[in-house]
Amino acid sequence: MEAKEYKTIKTEIRLPYELAYGATWTRFFEGLKNKTIFGTKCTKCGRILVPARSFCPRCFVDTDEWVEVSQVGTLIAWCYTNYKYFGMPTEPPFIGSLIRLNGTDVNFLHLMGGFDLNNFDEVKKIIKSGMKVEAVWSDDRKGHIMDIKYFRPL
Amino acid sequence: MAKQVAIVAVAQNAGAESKDNFYDQAYAVTKEVLDKAGMTRDDIGTVISASSDVFHGGISCANSYYWETTGAFLKNASRQDGESLFALFYGAMRIMTGHYDTALVIGLCKGSENPPNDTCTLMYADPFYQRGVGLTETMAAALQMRLYMERYGITEEQCAKVAVKNLGNGLRNPYAHKKGRYTVDDILGSERLIDPLTALQVAPKSEGMVALILASAKKAKEIADKPVWINGFGSSLDNYYVGDRDLLNGQLKNAADRAYKMAGITDPEKKIDVAEITEPYAFQELMWYEGLGFCKEGEGGRLMDSGFTEMNGRIPVNPSGGVLANNPYVSRGLQRVVEAVLQIRGEAGEKQVPKTVKTALAHGTHGYAGQCHAVAILGR
Amino acid sequence: MGRPVAIIGVGQTKHGRRMDVSYPDLVREAVVAVFNETGLTPNDIDGVVSGTMPSMMEGIALTHFYFADAMQAAGKPIMKTETCGSTGVSIAHTAYYWVASGMADLVLAVGHEKMNEGNSQATMTTVAEPFYQRYFISGAPGVFSMQSQMWMDRYNIPEEKIRDAAAFISVTHHDDAFDNPYAHIKMKVTMDEVKNARIITYPVRLLDVCPNSDGACAVIFASKDMVKKLGRKPAWVKGVGYRGEEYFFGDSDKVVWESAIQAAKQAYDQAGIKDPRKELDVAEVYNPFTFQEMLFYECFGFCEPGESPDMVLKGTFTRKGELPCDPSGGTLCTNPIGATGLIRVAEAALQVMGKAGDHQVPKAKLALSHAMGGVDQFNGIMILGSKL
Repeated sequence: MEAKEYKTIKTEIRLPYELAYGATWTRFFEGLKNKTIFGTKCTKCGRILVPARSFCPRCFVDTDEWVEVSQVGTLIAWCYTNYKYFGMPTEPPFIGSLIRLNGTDVNFLHLMGGFDLNNFDEVKKIIKSGMKVEAVWSDDRKGHIMDIKYFRPL
Repeated sequence: MAKQVAIVAVAQNAGAESKDNFYDQAYAVTKEVLDKAGMTRDDIGTVISASSDVFHGGISCANSYYWETTGAFLKNASRQDGESLFALFYGAMRIMTGHYDTALVIGLCKGSENPPNDTCTLMYADPFYQRGVGLTETMAAALQMRLYMERYGITEEQCAKVAVKNLGNGLRNPYAHKKGRYTVDDILGSERLIDPLTALQVAPKSEGMVALILASAKKAKEIADKPVWINGFGSSLDNYYVGDRDLLNGQLKNAADRAYKMAGITDPEKKIDVAEITEPYAFQELMWYEGLGFCKEGEGGRLMDSGFTEMNGRIPVNPSGGVLANNPYVSRGLQRVVEAVLQIRGEAGEKQVPKTVKTALAHGTHGYAGQCHAVAILGR
Repeated sequence: MGRPVAIIGVGQTKHGRRMDVSYPDLVREAVVAVFNETGLTPNDIDGVVSGTMPSMMEGIALTHFYFADAMQAAGKPIMKTETCGSTGVSIAHTAYYWVASGMADLVLAVGHEKMNEGNSQATMTTVAEPFYQRYFISGAPGVFSMQSQMWMDRYNIPEEKIRDAAAFISVTHHDDAFDNPYAHIKMKVTMDEVKNARIITYPVRLLDVCPNSDGACAVIFASKDMVKKLGRKPAWVKGVGYRGEEYFFGDSDKVVWESAIQAAKQAYDQAGIKDPRKELDVAEVYNPFTFQEMLFYECFGFCEPGESPDMVLKGTFTRKGELPCDPSGGTLCTNPIGATGLIRVAEAALQVMGKAGDHQVPKAKLALSHAMGGVDQFNGIMILGSKL
């Protein structure tokens, strides 16, 4: 924070949190540790939701049918991010992306990577909506969404 | 709800950083709106405010902090979070029950003191999945923009034209925070923050205390020469996860249809004379044209090209400069209402549109890629 | 005023430390419960009101987004009501005005909190402004303990008597909670244990204080036409009152506490209540601290100022007394803050619908519910009755 020309108080609020995953997401994130991506299937509408959900947002019924979903999918939309913000997943540049994993019925939010991201004009030549992509795993997996390092073009 | 509740006075402050503190700013605008109506605090039945806590401002229960600044001492008051149009709706509903004749509605935001918009909107993300990937409103918007351009062949130039128009319109708005005469090239050449969005297509972080006084039909006739009637309102919320949603087919149509139905409007592209809408990202204004029924799906870009929404167009959109010119996050919806009221009363000054305004539309949105929309229809 | 409005069903979670479920799943538990109870489906709902304590509590902002699916609010009009500790009753008020205005026939109101996930006292401290008061306010107990001391001094109530009465309240509410299947703390306590418990902020001791709870509550409000159509036994909203005072703790008298007095009066006037102790059959008073509960009795006209400790010790407010207060065990035994006020409303509704189960007050027809919030600043009331 830069100093302002009038008098201000500088204050910061930091608090610790411990947030319950619940049964469904505990299992989903355990799956990531083991390089598997789990979804759940809604028995009413038949949609496969990923990440796994405890209930179908549309049908409002429990979704306890587990499916391991494909790690390959289609890039639906992407954004080349070139600025820093609090809570960013990694140093920019990075590419926030919506990916439809094969056989699933919703888009999965993650990053694209696996190639040099520094030159945007080069990036634009590589990355296209509609392209096939595949999950790349981190070696150090903790049961976190970034256990998947990113998705790379196939 | 024809002619049940009227807006009888409005006030707002400037969007640029002020050295006054939140408390004093809120008090000043409350005073101003009361003075304009020729009323005192004692004449106000109920107070509904809109604000957000902590991440917007560093105070939990912000309404505790500013309670008395809004004239609410020992009054029955309440607060809406996130979207100030909710406060307008709630104030109107309280009057419609007959419990109150007057309501003071106020949106409060002091953007200059807040963390960056993205820091705040990251906190809307669930802490396990979307937050880990760094989802903010800006990232969601960039993804939405990509989808929109690719599905309908909307061009970056068409999106940039929204910023050219709105930042240009902002020049006529004394309260606007960001304004200027820009070209499409200027907009597209500004810093590429998050491709396909460039810096000048992203709304700033502004101050905004925005107050208005509502009155029942009977009371309005006593107070105001030119009451502006709230003829319809509606809102709609979308599913949570951005990957679950069709980002190009959101809830705006639902919210607008509810408002139009209440106002008895079947052909908005003919009946709406001016619109003040919330476009925190330039391309969204094009999408919202479609959702509001000003044109067909996928034709927002063409509508922009045709000049339909320029100051002298069929439906001028954001003659005030909109949210690209002034973005007090929670208050921005209510600010759209204030601008619409001024247009209807013919008191919009330099930004007054060159036509008779009988019916105006105000729109607010917040959340990832427009997770929630709210629409109000105002008339003479 | 406006159209008649009734509560037709309530749903609660099992409140407590609920690290077995995620926050959205906790919310869904209450929402499913109210749909199961009423036989309604999400499709029947015209609008949803959501609310919680500030985002700092769990570190998630604007939770109406996060819970859109859990509340089945997608595609529906939404309101997000937040008034600090009184949020729960303010949510109920919002739903009431929405239906009373004619703008909806069925509104789902949902309050929620997962206090074990964050630091509740630190959150409460950030309710105080950052320039001056934040340094001195030791979370909520600090404010309430100062208020209690002012009250004792004002009426020269012997400290021992107050201590005994507060301990009596703690003992009876902890006993009551055993009969409430949703209550968080189920623990037998004795007068001596309460009086000798660790001091939190004098005179408040550990067993005078509510817990941090995880919990959610969902309530469906309906128009008169809808009540008829559904043929369910309703709890009619008879009166709503709310008042707030200045932000700075110290500006207003907290003994003759005007926000509490006037909020109750507004609701009483609407409900036509003149002698609340006689006319009310049960009250769910927001009582995070035993001492403060007694002050509320006085502000709500259940007894004269300074008189409440004597009345408490006589058993006036126990479940067998003249005006049973907090037969659910109240906030003292269960406090998921954003839900707490709505739980008071829900419990009052259950009482007048005759559905309160083991903690039912026989033949309850008229009930008061209450919540308090801000820096000892806001009070809200909703009165429910079995007859329109």
